[in-house]
Order: sequence, then C-alpha cells, then structure tokens
Amino acid sequence: MATIGIKLYDEIGRTYDRKNTYLKELAILVNQYHNASKEEKQKLKEEIALHKKRKQEHPYYKMYNEFKSKEKIFKKELKKEVQNFRGNLDDDSSSEVKSLKTKDFKAKKTMDFYEHYSELTYEADFKYHEAEMERKHYPELMGIIQEKERQLLEAMTTKKQEAKQTDQKKENQNFQQFKNDKKEELKSNIAELKRKRKEKIISEKAKKTGIAELKKRYKNALQLRKLKNPVVGNNEEIKALKYDLKIIPKRMKRTLSADLADIRRKTPVEVEKIHPVFAFTTFLLPGLGQLLNKQFVKAVLFFIASLFIYLVAVPYSLGYGNYQGEGIAGLINLAEGAPRIFRSLIFMIEGIIAILLSLIAIGLFYISFRDVYGVEKKEAKGVRSKNWYETVTNISQDGFPYVVSMPAFFIVIFIVLVPVITTFLLSFTNMNPQNQSKFNWVGLSNYQRLALGEGLTGSVFWYILGWTVIWTLAATTLAIFIGFFLAIIANNERIIGKKFFRTVYLLPWAVPAFITILFFSIMFSPNGALTDILTGIFGQRIVIKNDPTLTRITLVALQGWLGSAYVFLLSTGVLQAIPSDLYEAADIDGATAWQKVRRITVPIVLFQTAPLLVTQYTFNFNNFSIIYLFNSGGPFNPTRYGNLAGSSDILISYIYKLTMENQHQAVAAAIIIFVSFGLMFFAFLGFRNSKAFREERL
Amino acid sequence: MGIFNRKKKSQLYLSDRQELTLFGKFGVAASHIVLMIWAVVIIWPLTQMVVSAFNGKQSGYLILNREFEFSLKHFEHLFQETLYLNWVWNTIFIAGATAVLTLFIVSFTGYAYSRYRFKGRKASLMTIMLIQTIPTFAGITAFFTMHSIIASVVPQFTRQMMLILIYSGGAIAANTFILKGYIDSISSELDDAAKIDGCSNMQIYRLIIMPIARPMLMLIGLWSFIGPFMDFLLPRVLLTSPRSYTLAAGLFTLVNDFRTMNQPAFAAGGLLTAVPIVLLFMALQNQLASGLAKGSVKG
Repeated sequence: MATIGIKLYDEIGRTYDRKNTYLKELAILVNQYHNASKEEKQKLKEEIALHKKRKQEHPYYKMYNEFKSKEKIFKKELKKEVQNFRGNLDDDSSSEVKSLKTKDFKAKKTMDFYEHYSELTYEADFKYHEAEMERKHYPELMGIIQEKERQLLEAMTTKKQEAKQTDQKKENQNFQQFKNDKKEELKSNIAELKRKRKEKIISEKAKKTGIAELKKRYKNALQLRKLKNPVVGNNEEIKALKYDLKIIPKRMKRTLSADLADIRRKTPVEVEKIHPVFAFTTFLLPGLGQLLNKQFVKAVLFFIASLFIYLVAVPYSLGYGNYQGEGIAGLINLAEGAPRIFRSLIFMIEGIIAILLSLIAIGLFYISFRDVYGVEKKEAKGVRSKNWYETVTNISQDGFPYVVSMPAFFIVIFIVLVPVITTFLLSFTNMNPQNQSKFNWVGLSNYQRLALGEGLTGSVFWYILGWTVIWTLAATTLAIFIGFFLAIIANNERIIGKKFFRTVYLLPWAVPAFITILFFSIMFSPNGALTDILTGIFGQRIVIKNDPTLTRITLVALQGWLGSAYVFLLSTGVLQAIPSDLYEAADIDGATAWQKVRRITVPIVLFQTAPLLVTQYTFNFNNFSIIYLFNSGGPFNPTRYGNLAGSSDILISYIYKLTMENQHQAVAAAIIIFVSFGLMFFAFLGFRNSKAFREERL
Repeated sequence: MGIFNRKKKSQLYLSDRQELTLFGKFGVAASHIVLMIWAVVIIWPLTQMVVSAFNGKQSGYLILNREFEFSLKHFEHLFQETLYLNWVWNTIFIAGATAVLTLFIVSFTGYAYSRYRFKGRKASLMTIMLIQTIPTFAGITAFFTMHSIIASVVPQFTRQMMLILIYSGGAIAANTFILKGYIDSISSELDDAAKIDGCSNMQIYRLIIMPIARPMLMLIGLWSFIGPFMDFLLPRVLLTSPRSYTLAAGLFTLVNDFRTMNQPAFAAGGLLTAVPIVLLFMALQNQLASGLAKGSVKG
C-alpha cells in the first residue's frame, strides 16, 4: 500500500498541516499499517478500506461539497456583478484605470467569499491569498496611472497653452546667445589645451581626451539649455509621461506575477491521487497529460510536438512522404526489386533519416511523460504545479541552454550525423561499379578485402597506408622544425628587420594553399620553370613528377614550405608571451644562449603549442589538396598500384578517387570508417590527457 | 641630462644588452643570413607568380626566366573568357553565409556550454569532441544524394546552400570548444552583477558576453569565411556546373581541363584571389597569433 504523507510539503521542503481531515485520517491509518505487526495489519487494512468506502459520508467531505456548490453559485453571480460594476463606472477615467478598478472589485469579492473557507481547504486559501495580493497591487498601480494621466493631461492642455504664449523669437535669441557664449568658451578651452601640449605640459593623448570631453560638455550644456525653452520642455515632458504610462503598468504587472508565483509556491495543494495517472496518457498523445494537469500553454506546446510526431515522424518512418524510399523498411531491403530509377543509396539515407526522426519522436514522448509524471508526483506530495508565468521563467532559466543549442543540434544531426552514418552503413554493402543503382548488404567483406589486401581495391591499401603514415610524420615534422627554428632565430632582440621577416613568413599561410600548390605543380611540370632549373644544375633532364621517390620528397618539402608559416606564427605568439625575467634570471646565473634556448624557450613553446601541433598531424593526414593538386596522386605505377591509385596517393585522395572517379563507394566507405576510428582513438587519447578533462572542469 | 656632452655619449656603450663577443657577432650575422635565405625561398615562387600574371609573352602555358613584356591580357582573358566574376561572387556568398551561420550557432553553444551546468552537458561535450575528429569528407558519398532528397522537398535548396550547411556543420564542434574556452576566461562575476540588475539570460549574452568575446568571435568568423576560399575538395564533389563553382574549383579548370587550360590566366586569378586575403592576414597578424595561442591553451 502506497504511503500518503501526513503532512504536506512544498518545493523547498517546508511542511504544512493537511486541511483535508479525511485524507489526514487516511494517512495516519496507512502509516500505522506500515509500522504495524502482521496480525494488526489485517485489521488495519479493513479499517482503511472502510474509511475509503465512507468517504462521501465523512464530515469533511460534507463541508467540502457544500463549499463547492456555493462556489459554483458565487462564480456565476460574480460574473454578473462584475459586468454591472463595469457598466456603472463613470466615464472619466481611461480604459486602463477602468479595467484595473474592475479587477480590484473582482478581487475584493473573491476575497470576501473565500475568506470563510480558507480554513477548510487550501484551494480556497490559495484563492484568498491571491486576491489579497492583487488587492495590494491594484490601488497602487491605479494611483500611479491616474497621477501620470493627470500630469499628461495638464502638460497637453494648460502647460502647452502657457508655453505657446512665450515669445519664441526671444527664446531663440537667448538660445543663440547662450550657444555663442559656450562656443567661445569651448574654443578658448581647446586653445588652452593645445598651448599646454605645445609646452609639453601634457601628453598628446591627454590633449585628445581633453578636447573630446570639452566637446561633450558643450553639447550637454546646449541640450540642457534647449529644455529651458517652454515649448521644447513641454514636448519632452509629454514624451516622458507617455513612455512612463506605457512601461510602468508592464513592470508592475510583472512584479505582481512574481508575487503571485510566490504565493503559489507557498501554498500547498492537496490531492487524493497518489500515483501518477495522467502521465501515461502522454504516450498516446503528448500534451494530453499537461491538459489534464491544467497547464494549458504547456499543453499547446506539447500538442505541437504531437503534430510533429504524428504528421512527420511516424508517417516518414513508415514510408509515407519519402522522396523515393520506404522509411525504416527501406533500410533493410535497399530498394531491392524496385523499378530501375529507384536507388539503394536514397533508400538508405531516407531510412537513416527515418530512424533519427523516430528517435527524436521517442525523445519527445519521454520528455512529455517525464514532465507530467514529475508534476503529478509533486502534487501528491503537496507541491502546486507551476503556472505559465513560472514555466516561462523556468524555461528562460534552466531551459535556456537547450533552447539556444537547438540550431546546432539539428544541423549536427542532419548535416553531420546523417552522412557519417550513411558512410558507416555503406561500408557493409557492395556498392561498386557493377552495383551503382542497386546494392546489397554484404557484411564485413569490404573490411576483409582491405585487411587481407585482396582484389583490385584492397591490394594497394597497405602500400597507401604506409606512405600516408610516412607522409604525415615527415611533412608535419619538417614544417614544425622549420617554423620553430625560424621563430627562435627571429625572436632574438638583435635581429634587424623583424617585422619584415614576420610579414614574409606569413605569406605561405596567407596565400590560399591551392593557388601555391597549383603554381608549384605547373613549375614542376615537364616543361616548367623549376624543371628547367634542375636540368641546368644536374646536367640531365629530371622530371620530378615522373619519379615516385622524387615526387614524394618534393611533396614533403612543399608541405614544409607551406606548413612552416603557421608554426612560425604560432611559436612567435608564444615566444613573445614568455616573460623576460626568466631570461634575465638565466643571464645572471651565467647561462649561455644555447642553454637559454634549450632550457627555457623550447619547453615552454612546445608545451603551449602541443595541442595545435597535434592537429597539424591530423591535418596532413587528411591533406587532400596538396596530393591531388600537385600531381593527382601520380606518377602512376600500374605494376604496383594498379589503375586506381598513384604512387603518391594518401588515404584521403585514394578515397576521393574510389568514390568520385571509380565508383567503388563501399570500399571507400570502409576506408573512411577505418581512418575515422583511428583519428578518434588518437583524439580521445589526447583529450583524456588534457588538463580540462582530468580536472573534471569541462 | 645636459651634463654629458654628446660626443662622449657615443663613445660609451649604453645598452641593456650585453656586449657581443666575436662569436656572438658571428651568430647574429648567421641568423640574418638564414632568415634572408628562407625569405628568398618564400618570395621567389610568389614573385614568379606575379611576374607570370603580367607577362604578355606567354599564351596557354607559363614560361619563366625568359622574355618579359608587361601586359594585362591574362586578366582580360580571366574576366572575359572565364566565369571568374561568377566564381568570386559564389565564393563570397558561400563564405559569408557560412561565417554568419557559424557565428550565430557557435556563439550560442559556446555561451551555453561555458555558463550553464545542464543535464547531458558532459556527454554532449564528449560527443562534440569525437564528432570534431571525423573529417568532413567522411560523408562525400551521401552529400550529393542528400541534396537531391532535400531539394525534392524544398526546390529552392541549391547545392551551394548544401555546401554552406556542410561547412557550418563541420565548424560547429571545434569552434564551440574554442569559444567555450574563451568565455570561460571571462569572469562570471560580470554575469552575476548583470543578473542582480535584472538582466535576462539573453540580455547577458547580448550585452555582456558577446561584446567581451568579440575578438574570438571575429577570429572564428574570419576562419569560417576563409575556409571556403581555401577548400577544394567539397566544391569538386558537390558543385557540378562551372557557373556555380567557387574560386578554388573554378581556377582549377584553368590548369587541368584541356578545353579551358590557360596557365597565365590562372596565375592572374590566383593573384587577384590571394591579394585581399594576404592583406587581411597582415592586418590581423597579431590577433591571429594571440588567438591561436589562446585556442591552444584552453583546448
């Protein structure tokens, strides 16, 4: 048997006595039952059952039902009375004041009625206090509004008349006079400042700020003087009053809402229900439970979610409204047996989208369930459910991060995740030149082909992987070494023309890489400029692009040229931030230049730039541009590499060729997955060791 | 300081630095030589590009180190015979839209992850970390088909827009991290003070955090803007008609496609593309360096 609390609790754990004596007695009985010995339990159980059976005969319920019926009549009468009251109001005051008066009247009547029952039930108590709070606020607000309206009226009539009678010509003359005086003053003040500057009493900066300040003061003085003109002043006053009338009621209503919410929090609610019931209706239709909980605006929001679920997610998953596919089912059959124009890839992607939509739908069901469940659970304890004002405050407080992350969430899901999942699934199919439009699930055979180096596509995989690793290590390390070395040399304070060097060294990074790579590619072509120069030096024609080894060396050198700029800039930034006292201390201790570099500079720079240097390795691992643009991955070497790849191809350019040029998408997908897992593993290692992660600071 | 006369001053060694030994002097000289050599290594190929862009003696192929005649005919070719202006416009459109979209999204996520302790925060941060490592090209097979699916629902959805979404999507993870690190370094007392004065979360974001984080936002915006200028792979995959190419894809056709091959025009186009970016980089040199360093420490 579920327990019922003898006392009620609000959200922060304050306790309240139950007013519903029937429930109180029941709670006491149930409590006894739980603490009782076995023999007594049977007896108590009967007693509880009897108590429940006699609920309607309980004296409390008699009183309560009487209250309910009277409340019904009261509500009807109140409606009429309020209408009467509004009709009898004098027509002088504005509609704002009128509606306030009506509300005040309504609150007074409500107070009078519920006062008698506030000891009987928290329902009445709550309404009584609410009305009381309203009555505290309305007269004050009314007073302010009336006062402001009176002032506005005055300003618009009598004062305006008065202002009009003043001699505007004279006013203008006076103003001009004043303006001229002030201008003279300003000029002389500025001249004074300039003189001081000339005599070098003050700095250039002081002069500038001084002049700016004087000008500002001059403007302010003019502005103030203008307001002395009755016409201008009157206009300004009217504007200010109108603004006040617009803004003050809003502000005070917000305060009232906050005060009412406070009463809501402080007044518990008493319900007979112990188990959440409404929550389960949300599995049918999110929003229904909220409606039953009487949280109407929330209900509307969740009904919109329901619309999404039943009009978008569910039909799409079942295959309705798809572009070609059949929802989730399409993911399994991959358009097998469908007409020729239906493509497996489309079926696959739509299947993935369908699954993601379903997941979102399940998430919405769950959120809605949790929401209603929580409210009901709390109500059983005594916590009053939140009204709209509180919900909005809550959403703007706790829900804020979720709301603002929504765009990111959707873009990541549909633009980043869908393609990645597609690639993942594709790696288990046989999408190749023979099976472009229709393909099937083939399990792990692509991975097997790669691992064992079988077939046209797999045989070169390990060669390419090997070169990719060598390339990554060699090219990045070279770039880091060059950039770092130059940064240390250039950071010496005795170097002349530092600015020039820094600007020049920035260039390889600043010029878009594809331009420089293509240009180098042109220069290294069989009749290119650099080929000519090399021919001149070595006395024989050396065409680098036709020789695998030379091409690879050139690529590494070229990446050293390109990547060093970034490392240079990075290390220079760190170097300049090293406090000079470190070096001074080293000087005093008699350190040589080499020792200073080895013991101070290198450790600091390496430590600070390490994370970014690691990204340089991953960058080069995936550096498609340089490989593809320089020599299209060539030179080709069919005896060793077949027709699909050249001897300088790295994994990413191989993937590109497989996918875009040779239609071996499935194998390419398997390589991508292989590469991604590798990269993720290394990133995870690096991340795990990072300070932020270890300190749980995230 | 009129006590010493000038003549005497010049004879004194008046520097904070130690006087150099012979060996030290040699070292400084060697440093200069090394720096000069590398400067030449950088400048020589770039000047070759500039020269060949203006050399009227060439036709379809580049010729270097031979005769030179100043001419603007390659630029003329670029503007009249190719779709260069189209490409420029496409690139600016894609880059601009990417930068705006990225900034809009990332400024929110960076703020949320830095300032709020919400449920699922750590898990999603880990997810972001992992997503960040999956290279964007992982989806190349799907991008094209995805575009046709979206275009079947929204016919106005062009391939360029798909490209914008892909670029922005790829930029979210890393930049969220960077911006989060930067906002972490802004004292949260400012937020508290603003909250006491009655600011809503949105107002704190708009009036306090964003202005302070402006340097980092500028950097992120700059990177997102430059990205499409530098990228070559995705436009190749996604864009099919020369009219919709970006600069990288378009200029490539001047080098590799035999029908449209014109190497000097490529040099000219490359020059025109590079100059504004280089100027931008030079102007922002210091911010770039310090921004990079900050991103690294916080990572």
